[in-house]
Amino acid sequence: MAHMEISASTSTAVATPSGPAKPVLRSLLGGLVTALPVLAIGLLILAFAPAYYTHLALAAFVNLIVVVGLQVFMGNGNIANLGHSAFVGIGAYGVAVLATPPAMKKLSIPDAPFGLADIALDPLTAALCALLAVGVVAAASGKVISRLSGVAATIVSLALLIIVHSVFLNWTDLFKGNQAFFGIPKVVGLPGIMAAAVVVIVLARLFKDSRWGLQLRASAQSPQAAAAVGVDAKRLRLVAWILSALICGLAGILYAYFAGTISPKLFYFQQIFMTLAMLILGGMATVTGAVTGVIVLSVGLEFIRSIESGVSIGGIQLPQLLGLSGVALGVVIVLSMAFRPSGICGRHELDEQLARFFRRAR
Amino acid sequence: MDYLFQQLLNALAFGAEYSLVALGLAVVFSIMGLVNFAHGEIIGVSAYSVFLAAALGLTSPLVAVLLAVGAAALAAVAFERVAFRPVRYAPTTTGLLTAFGVSIVVQNLFMLLISPKPQSVSILNGLNQMWFFGPFAVSSLQVLELVVAALAIVGLVLFLNRSTLGLAIRAASRDFATVRLMGIRANRVIATAFAISGALAGIAAVFIIARRGSVTPDLGFGLVLKAFVACVIGGFGSLAGAAVGGMLLGFIEVGLLVALPQQYGGFKEALTYGIIVALLLYRPEGLLGRRAELGDKEA
Amino acid sequence: MLTVENLTVRYGAVTAVRDLSLSIGHGELVALLGPNGAGKSSTINALTGLVDAAAGRIVLDGRDISRTRTEDRIRAGLTSTPEGRHIFANLTVAENLRLGAATRRDPKGVRADIDRFLALFPVLSQRYGQAAGTLSGGEQQMLAISRSLMSRPKLLLLDEPSLGLAPKIVVQIFDFIGQLKAEGLTLLVVEQNAAQALRFADRVHVVTSGTLRYSGPPAGLADEHGLLNLYIGG
Repeated sequence: MAHMEISASTSTAVATPSGPAKPVLRSLLGGLVTALPVLAIGLLILAFAPAYYTHLALAAFVNLIVVVGLQVFMGNGNIANLGHSAFVGIGAYGVAVLATPPAMKKLSIPDAPFGLADIALDPLTAALCALLAVGVVAAASGKVISRLSGVAATIVSLALLIIVHSVFLNWTDLFKGNQAFFGIPKVVGLPGIMAAAVVVIVLARLFKDSRWGLQLRASAQSPQAAAAVGVDAKRLRLVAWILSALICGLAGILYAYFAGTISPKLFYFQQIFMTLAMLILGGMATVTGAVTGVIVLSVGLEFIRSIESGVSIGGIQLPQLLGLSGVALGVVIVLSMAFRPSGICGRHELDEQLARFFRRAR
Repeated sequence: MDYLFQQLLNALAFGAEYSLVALGLAVVFSIMGLVNFAHGEIIGVSAYSVFLAAALGLTSPLVAVLLAVGAAALAAVAFERVAFRPVRYAPTTTGLLTAFGVSIVVQNLFMLLISPKPQSVSILNGLNQMWFFGPFAVSSLQVLELVVAALAIVGLVLFLNRSTLGLAIRAASRDFATVRLMGIRANRVIATAFAISGALAGIAAVFIIARRGSVTPDLGFGLVLKAFVACVIGGFGSLAGAAVGGMLLGFIEVGLLVALPQQYGGFKEALTYGIIVALLLYRPEGLLGRRAELGDKEA
Repeated sequence: MLTVENLTVRYGAVTAVRDLSLSIGHGELVALLGPNGAGKSSTINALTGLVDAAAGRIVLDGRDISRTRTEDRIRAGLTSTPEGRHIFANLTVAENLRLGAATRRDPKGVRADIDRFLALFPVLSQRYGQAAGTLSGGEQQMLAISRSLMSRPKLLLLDEPSLGLAPKIVVQIFDFIGQLKAEGLTLLVVEQNAAQALRFADRVHVVTSGTLRYSGPPAGLADEHGLLNLYIGG
């Protein structure tokens, strides 16, 4: 913005993100440490919680995967992405179209093009094909996004969301439009999603600590300096974008395989708002931040939703308060940005924080 | 002939509306680098103010128009004061996400405090009539939209060129620190920019209410997404680019509506955005980039 | 007129100015010399308030302005012509001058001042309605100083007025600075070009690595060979 202020603020920010690239093993361990709380919560729920909470946990784990996917692009590239739900949707609709049994499709999408109404792939093949579709769309959109400056890239990510959503809504022969797409084989349960979440967390951490991740973070902080040492920021943004999309796509696939029913509005602004708030609250610079944000907001939102639907306190029935959870999400974003833009977790991963803590304790 | 004329008027009217909203975004972005996602909720505040005033017994359309514009300007200044000032010197992404947050809060407040359902507002319906010019029947609303948008842009150019604050806004779009060295208060420049941005949104709100006859919590959100796209095509931060981008978007949309067979009409949205993304492949910096501004004397 | 006590400026972990004290009396021209990166511009920006001082006191005419906003410091009679001139390139020469007078409420006086600068610098008069970005470097510097003077300051801070200009133009600019001093204006001139800065200086401060190394009359500086050599490329 203002010339002088910029020069003043960048001179402080130019310092390298966090030293030299770490060995793979350390990142791997770090990722696993970060995934540990997730695993613990999942196992506790699996062992003790009633069915209602299992269902909640499944949704939270799907959100977790989306948020980690979002972190890969936003955290490393420092560009706001408001279109990631497009990829969640493509993943989900991909398996819906490919894996739903023909008997079901006869009811829901009898006029599907390319003879898709008559075939059904096994869930794994369908998932791989859906991921391929996500990858193709991500590569094409990434070509544009990686070339644009921050703001324009964000707007294009939004455009992508709207395009994809509009296709789901209007290509009724294939996607069933506004109505729910049902009959998707329910082949994934909590353990499967948990495992996927752990893998994705480790993957995001490995990417962040990799040479690519480091270079991308450096170029996000100081584009000129990074370019001067030969960092190809565009290519790195593209790589991060595709990886981020694939992770989001995976979340969509898992959601479809666990819920069995999907509809376009699941993969639109509502999800964008929620996952974005989670990432911002936790802190987008780290994978730990993504995990923390999901845990905190999932619990918080569940509490708020119970108020929203109208509770009775001491025998007095409160009215429905539709919009309360939305207000809360927005307030979380605004307050985080104003008072703690780096989120709860700041710049350090859980294992790094633990290491520092133990060093100090000694 | 008649059909073509009608579609041309449609394109111009849509374009005018997009231009108004896009200009509001560009004024704010050009001086403080804020991508104001909450711009749509400024339109929302404006519309709900008219709704509430009408519900409380206001009957004068003129007062309703003034209220719409005034409430929008006030809302814009208030958003800046409450939410954007703390992040004024923060990176663009921080401001963008803050604005996104404000947008969510305000939209949901409408839902919470008023209703998630559309609320009928008929006070401005009088603006929407059929006018007959010989063989042509035109919608008064579209003509007014075009004329008022043109007047608003002329007014904006005059303000930016003649008044000291206007000069300061143009200067601040390049070099805010030096504007402060002139003894001009940064807060005043920014508040003025927000007020202008809000007033433009308020004008757009008047036309939206008159056309729809109802208000909804997400009234402005979709429109602002399009206005952002207009800004991006025009070149983000460029005022002239925002106006041109808005018009172009209007023409693309109506062109698609005319060209697409009925059963594919639903793909208008997808195609519009698709065309724009394709356009950006060829001109990543937008049509007018960050060069000449409204009123700038640069070659 | 201006007293600076123990000024410290930091950018994150980097200290740009350390414990710097200086004073400028009424009608004086004080030169602040030092090599690139010595903290001269940071000092100026701290004086105008564009960067926050980490510590220290700035007193203008007996009033502590250390915590005052930039805009209000300008209104209190202090102004600066920034390094690199920072004219508003997208505005005309006329509009630049008008913005310089933004704090004034006497249109007649403003008009008279504009006429005065146009007479002093005929080239500004010729380019009056053109974008200031089309001016040459020297012309831009003339415009920048004129613009600063439009607010009728009591104290003018000039940051590297010779930067990037041809020697002949530099002489011309400093002739003008001398003239301003003769008219009674108080000036603080930050320069790398010591020879020019010393032509009219009453007193000199030398700063390196954010710390004041010398304060005194120009003559004293000439004695300290080591220092002088640093700045006139000896």
